[in-house]
Amino acid sequence: MSSQFPAPAETVRLTSPSQTGTKHTFEIADLAVFGAVFLAAVGHLMIKAGLVGAASAGLHGNVVDRLMVYFTQPYVILGLAIYGLGTAMWILAVSSHDISYVFPISALNYVLVTLGGKLLFGEVVTLKRWGGIALVILGVGLMQGSGRKGRP
Amino acid sequence: MTATLALWISIFLNGLAQVLLKKGVGHTQARTGVSAKWWLSLLTNGWIWAWGLSFVVATALWILALSKLDISYAFPLLSTSFILVAILSRLLLGEYISRTRWIAIFVICLGVILIAAK
Repeated sequence: MSSQFPAPAETVRLTSPSQTGTKHTFEIADLAVFGAVFLAAVGHLMIKAGLVGAASAGLHGNVVDRLMVYFTQPYVILGLAIYGLGTAMWILAVSSHDISYVFPISALNYVLVTLGGKLLFGEVVTLKRWGGIALVILGVGLMQGSGRKGRP
Repeated sequence: MTATLALWISIFLNGLAQVLLKKGVGHTQARTGVSAKWWLSLLTNGWIWAWGLSFVVATALWILALSKLDISYAFPLLSTSFILVAILSRLLLGEYISRTRWIAIFVICLGVILIAAK
Protein backbone atom coordinates (compact mmCIF):
# COMPACT_ATOMS: atom_id res chain seq x y z
CA MET A 1 0.00 0.00 0.00
CA SER A 2 2.09 2.95 1.15
CA SER A 3 5.31 3.66 2.96
CA GLN A 4 4.41 7.29 3.60
CA PHE A 5 3.00 6.92 7.05
CA PRO A 6 1.40 9.01 8.36
CA ALA A 7 0.06 10.50 5.15
CA PRO A 8 -0.68 14.19 5.56
CA ALA A 9 -4.45 14.16 5.27
CA GLU A 10 -4.56 17.82 4.32
CA THR A 11 -2.31 17.24 1.31
CA VAL A 12 -4.41 14.33 0.15
CA ARG A 13 -7.55 16.38 0.48
CA LEU A 14 -6.28 19.36 -1.46
CA THR A 15 -5.01 17.52 -4.49
CA SER A 16 -7.18 16.13 -7.23
CA PRO A 17 -6.93 12.39 -6.72
CA SER A 18 -7.27 11.39 -10.34
CA GLN A 19 -4.37 13.57 -11.35
CA THR A 20 -1.94 12.90 -8.57
CA GLY A 21 0.37 10.07 -7.77
CA THR A 22 -0.07 10.63 -4.05
CA LYS A 23 0.19 7.38 -2.17
CA HIS A 24 -1.54 7.37 1.12
CA THR A 25 -2.34 5.16 4.03
CA PHE A 26 -5.51 3.29 4.83
CA GLU A 27 -8.31 5.72 5.53
CA ILE A 28 -11.87 5.69 6.83
CA ALA A 29 -13.17 5.99 3.26
CA ASP A 30 -11.53 2.66 2.47
CA LEU A 31 -13.72 1.09 5.13
CA ALA A 32 -16.76 2.37 3.23
CA VAL A 33 -15.85 0.14 0.28
CA PHE A 34 -15.69 -2.98 2.40
CA GLY A 35 -18.54 -1.87 4.66
CA ALA A 36 -20.80 -1.42 1.62
CA VAL A 37 -19.94 -4.88 0.30
CA PHE A 38 -20.44 -6.43 3.73
CA LEU A 39 -23.82 -4.77 4.28
CA ALA A 40 -25.03 -5.78 0.81
CA ALA A 41 -24.09 -9.40 1.51
CA VAL A 42 -25.74 -9.37 4.96
CA GLY A 43 -28.84 -7.82 3.37
CA HIS A 44 -28.98 -10.55 0.70
CA LEU A 45 -28.60 -13.32 3.29
CA MET A 46 -31.31 -11.84 5.53
CA ILE A 47 -33.73 -11.56 2.60
CA LYS A 48 -32.97 -15.20 1.81
CA ALA A 49 -33.59 -16.16 5.46
CA GLY A 50 -36.93 -14.35 5.36
CA LEU A 51 -37.94 -16.02 2.10
CA VAL A 52 -37.03 -19.47 3.42
CA GLY A 53 -39.37 -18.87 6.35
CA ALA A 54 -42.15 -17.66 4.04
CA ALA A 55 -41.70 -20.33 1.37
CA SER A 56 -44.56 -22.52 2.57
CA ALA A 57 -46.87 -19.58 3.23
CA GLY A 58 -46.13 -18.19 -0.21
CA LEU A 59 -47.06 -21.32 -2.11
CA HIS A 60 -50.71 -20.43 -2.37
CA GLY A 61 -52.55 -17.51 -3.87
CA ASN A 62 -51.79 -15.26 -6.80
CA VAL A 63 -48.63 -13.28 -7.45
CA VAL A 64 -49.79 -10.21 -5.51
CA ASP A 65 -50.74 -12.30 -2.47
CA ARG A 66 -47.40 -14.09 -2.55
CA LEU A 67 -45.47 -10.84 -2.85
CA MET A 68 -47.44 -9.46 0.09
CA VAL A 69 -46.38 -12.46 2.17
CA TYR A 70 -42.74 -12.07 1.14
CA PHE A 71 -42.51 -8.33 1.72
CA THR A 72 -44.07 -8.49 5.17
CA GLN A 73 -41.53 -10.98 6.54
CA PRO A 74 -39.49 -9.25 9.28
CA TYR A 75 -36.21 -10.64 7.93
CA VAL A 76 -37.03 -9.48 4.39
CA ILE A 77 -37.81 -5.95 5.62
CA LEU A 78 -34.68 -5.87 7.78
CA GLY A 79 -32.63 -7.28 4.90
CA LEU A 80 -33.91 -4.59 2.51
CA ALA A 81 -33.12 -1.89 5.09
CA ILE A 82 -29.56 -3.18 5.51
CA TYR A 83 -29.21 -3.42 1.74
CA GLY A 84 -30.33 0.23 1.49
CA LEU A 85 -27.76 1.25 4.10
CA GLY A 86 -25.16 -0.64 2.07
CA THR A 87 -26.16 1.34 -1.04
CA ALA A 88 -25.66 4.64 0.84
CA MET A 89 -22.23 3.47 1.95
CA TRP A 90 -21.51 2.42 -1.64
CA ILE A 91 -22.23 5.99 -2.79
CA LEU A 92 -19.71 7.23 -0.21
CA ALA A 93 -17.15 4.69 -1.38
CA VAL A 94 -17.63 5.63 -5.05
CA SER A 95 -17.36 9.34 -4.26
CA SER A 96 -13.85 8.98 -2.89
CA HIS A 97 -12.30 6.38 -5.22
CA ASP A 98 -11.88 5.57 -8.88
CA ILE A 99 -14.84 3.50 -10.07
CA SER A 100 -12.37 1.15 -11.78
CA TYR A 101 -10.98 0.51 -8.28
CA VAL A 102 -14.15 0.09 -6.20
CA PHE A 103 -16.44 -1.74 -8.61
CA PRO A 104 -14.30 -4.89 -9.00
CA ILE A 105 -13.97 -5.06 -5.20
CA SER A 106 -17.76 -5.47 -5.01
CA ALA A 107 -17.10 -9.02 -6.29
CA LEU A 108 -16.34 -9.82 -2.62
CA ASN A 109 -20.12 -9.83 -2.33
CA TYR A 110 -20.17 -13.20 -4.14
CA VAL A 111 -17.57 -14.54 -1.71
CA LEU A 112 -19.50 -13.41 1.37
CA VAL A 113 -22.85 -14.64 0.07
CA THR A 114 -21.32 -18.03 -0.86
CA LEU A 115 -19.75 -18.40 2.59
CA GLY A 116 -22.93 -17.16 4.27
CA GLY A 117 -24.98 -19.66 2.25
CA LYS A 118 -22.75 -22.44 3.53
CA LEU A 119 -22.83 -21.32 7.17
CA LEU A 120 -26.49 -20.34 7.43
CA PHE A 121 -28.29 -22.54 4.92
CA GLY A 122 -25.93 -25.49 4.63
CA GLU A 123 -25.35 -24.88 0.93
CA VAL A 124 -22.58 -26.93 -0.65
CA VAL A 125 -19.38 -25.13 -1.66
CA THR A 126 -17.56 -27.14 -4.31
CA LEU A 127 -13.80 -27.19 -4.80
CA LYS A 128 -14.26 -25.06 -7.92
CA ARG A 129 -16.09 -22.44 -5.85
CA TRP A 130 -13.35 -22.43 -3.20
CA GLY A 131 -10.91 -21.76 -6.05
CA GLY A 132 -13.08 -18.88 -7.23
CA ILE A 133 -13.25 -17.46 -3.71
CA ALA A 134 -9.45 -17.60 -3.45
CA LEU A 135 -9.05 -15.85 -6.82
CA VAL A 136 -11.46 -13.02 -5.95
CA ILE A 137 -9.63 -12.42 -2.66
CA LEU A 138 -6.29 -12.49 -4.52
CA GLY A 139 -7.64 -9.99 -7.07
CA VAL A 140 -8.91 -7.64 -4.36
CA GLY A 141 -5.49 -7.87 -2.71
CA LEU A 142 -3.78 -7.01 -6.01
CA MET A 143 -6.16 -4.08 -6.42
CA GLN A 144 -4.75 -2.54 -3.22
CA GLY A 145 -1.43 -2.08 -4.93
CA SER A 146 -2.90 -0.76 -8.18
CA GLY A 147 -2.77 2.96 -7.43
CA ARG A 148 -6.18 3.40 -5.96
CA LYS A 149 -6.69 7.01 -6.98
CA GLY A 150 -5.42 6.83 -10.51
CA ARG A 151 -1.76 6.78 -11.36
CA PRO A 152 0.16 4.38 -9.14
CA MET B 1 -36.64 -9.59 -27.37
CA THR B 2 -34.68 -12.73 -26.83
CA ALA B 3 -33.52 -13.64 -23.34
CA THR B 4 -29.87 -13.48 -24.39
CA LEU B 5 -30.25 -9.95 -25.76
CA ALA B 6 -32.03 -8.90 -22.55
CA LEU B 7 -29.16 -10.41 -20.57
CA TRP B 8 -26.47 -8.50 -22.45
CA ILE B 9 -28.35 -5.20 -22.32
CA SER B 10 -28.77 -5.80 -18.58
CA ILE B 11 -25.04 -6.44 -18.14
CA PHE B 12 -24.17 -3.32 -20.16
CA LEU B 13 -26.60 -1.11 -18.20
CA ASN B 14 -25.33 -2.57 -14.93
CA GLY B 15 -21.81 -1.44 -15.81
CA LEU B 16 -22.91 1.88 -17.27
CA ALA B 17 -24.88 2.58 -14.06
CA GLN B 18 -21.69 2.51 -12.00
CA VAL B 19 -19.97 4.96 -14.34
CA LEU B 20 -23.02 7.26 -14.22
CA LEU B 21 -22.94 7.12 -10.40
CA LYS B 22 -19.28 8.06 -10.40
CA LYS B 23 -19.99 10.89 -12.83
CA GLY B 24 -22.71 12.08 -10.47
CA VAL B 25 -20.81 12.03 -7.18
CA GLY B 26 -17.41 13.03 -8.59
CA HIS B 27 -14.46 13.08 -6.22
CA THR B 28 -16.25 14.55 -3.23
CA GLN B 29 -13.57 13.38 -0.84
CA ALA B 30 -15.96 11.63 1.49
CA ARG B 31 -13.13 10.78 3.85
CA THR B 32 -13.65 14.12 5.52
CA GLY B 33 -17.34 13.41 5.98
CA VAL B 34 -20.23 14.55 3.86
CA SER B 35 -23.10 16.74 4.94
CA ALA B 36 -26.85 16.24 4.81
CA LYS B 37 -26.79 18.99 2.19
CA TRP B 38 -24.55 16.83 0.00
CA TRP B 39 -26.96 13.89 0.24
CA LEU B 40 -29.90 16.15 -0.63
CA SER B 41 -28.02 17.58 -3.60
CA LEU B 42 -27.90 14.07 -5.07
CA LEU B 43 -31.69 14.18 -5.43
CA THR B 44 -31.44 16.94 -8.02
CA ASN B 45 -28.42 15.45 -9.77
CA GLY B 46 -29.26 14.22 -13.28
CA TRP B 47 -26.41 11.68 -13.30
CA ILE B 48 -27.77 10.13 -10.09
CA TRP B 49 -31.21 9.80 -11.68
CA ALA B 50 -29.59 8.23 -14.75
CA TRP B 51 -27.82 5.80 -12.41
CA GLY B 52 -31.10 4.88 -10.71
CA LEU B 53 -32.90 4.45 -14.02
CA SER B 54 -30.13 2.28 -15.49
CA PHE B 55 -30.13 0.20 -12.32
CA VAL B 56 -33.90 -0.36 -12.40
CA VAL B 57 -33.97 -1.23 -16.13
CA ALA B 58 -30.92 -3.50 -15.73
CA THR B 59 -32.56 -5.33 -12.82
CA ALA B 60 -35.86 -5.75 -14.69
CA LEU B 61 -34.05 -7.13 -17.78
CA TRP B 62 -31.96 -9.39 -15.54
CA ILE B 63 -35.08 -10.91 -13.98
CA LEU B 64 -36.65 -11.24 -17.44
CA ALA B 65 -33.53 -12.99 -18.77
CA LEU B 66 -33.29 -15.30 -15.76
CA SER B 67 -36.86 -16.46 -16.26
CA LYS B 68 -35.64 -18.05 -19.51
CA LEU B 69 -31.95 -18.73 -18.94
CA ASP B 70 -30.07 -20.97 -16.54
CA ILE B 71 -28.51 -18.94 -13.71
CA SER B 72 -25.24 -20.86 -14.05
CA TYR B 73 -25.08 -19.51 -17.63
CA ALA B 74 -26.11 -15.94 -16.83
CA PHE B 75 -24.18 -15.31 -13.62
CA PRO B 76 -20.62 -15.86 -14.89
CA LEU B 77 -21.32 -13.43 -17.76
CA LEU B 78 -22.04 -10.73 -15.19
CA SER B 79 -18.31 -10.63 -14.48
CA THR B 80 -17.75 -8.98 -17.89
CA SER B 81 -19.23 -5.82 -16.34
CA PHE B 82 -15.99 -5.40 -14.36
CA ILE B 83 -14.06 -5.15 -17.64
CA LEU B 84 -16.77 -2.94 -19.16
CA VAL B 85 -16.62 -0.51 -16.22
CA ALA B 86 -12.82 -0.31 -16.54
CA ILE B 87 -13.12 0.55 -20.26
CA LEU B 88 -15.98 3.04 -19.74
CA SER B 89 -14.24 4.70 -16.77
CA ARG B 90 -11.21 5.23 -18.95
CA LEU B 91 -13.19 6.58 -21.91
CA LEU B 92 -15.79 8.66 -20.09
CA LEU B 93 -14.10 9.59 -16.80
CA GLY B 94 -10.45 9.61 -17.82
CA GLU B 95 -9.45 7.15 -15.12
CA TYR B 96 -5.99 5.69 -15.44
CA ILE B 97 -5.89 1.91 -15.17
CA SER B 98 -2.48 0.58 -14.30
CA ARG B 99 -1.23 -2.81 -15.44
CA THR B 100 -1.63 -4.11 -11.87
CA ARG B 101 -5.24 -2.94 -11.85
CA TRP B 102 -5.97 -4.72 -15.16
CA ILE B 103 -4.46 -7.92 -13.76
CA ALA B 104 -6.51 -7.53 -10.56
CA ILE B 105 -9.69 -7.05 -12.63
CA PHE B 106 -9.05 -10.18 -14.71
CA VAL B 107 -8.21 -12.27 -11.64
CA ILE B 108 -11.45 -11.12 -9.98
CA CYS B 109 -13.44 -11.92 -13.17
CA LEU B 110 -11.96 -15.41 -13.29
CA GLY B 111 -12.81 -15.88 -9.61
CA VAL B 112 -16.42 -14.79 -10.14
CA ILE B 113 -16.74 -17.15 -13.13
CA LEU B 114 -15.52 -20.06 -10.98
CA ILE B 115 -17.88 -19.17 -8.11
CA ALA B 116 -20.89 -18.77 -10.38
CA ALA B 117 -20.35 -21.52 -12.94
CA LYS B 118 -22.01 -24.88 -12.46
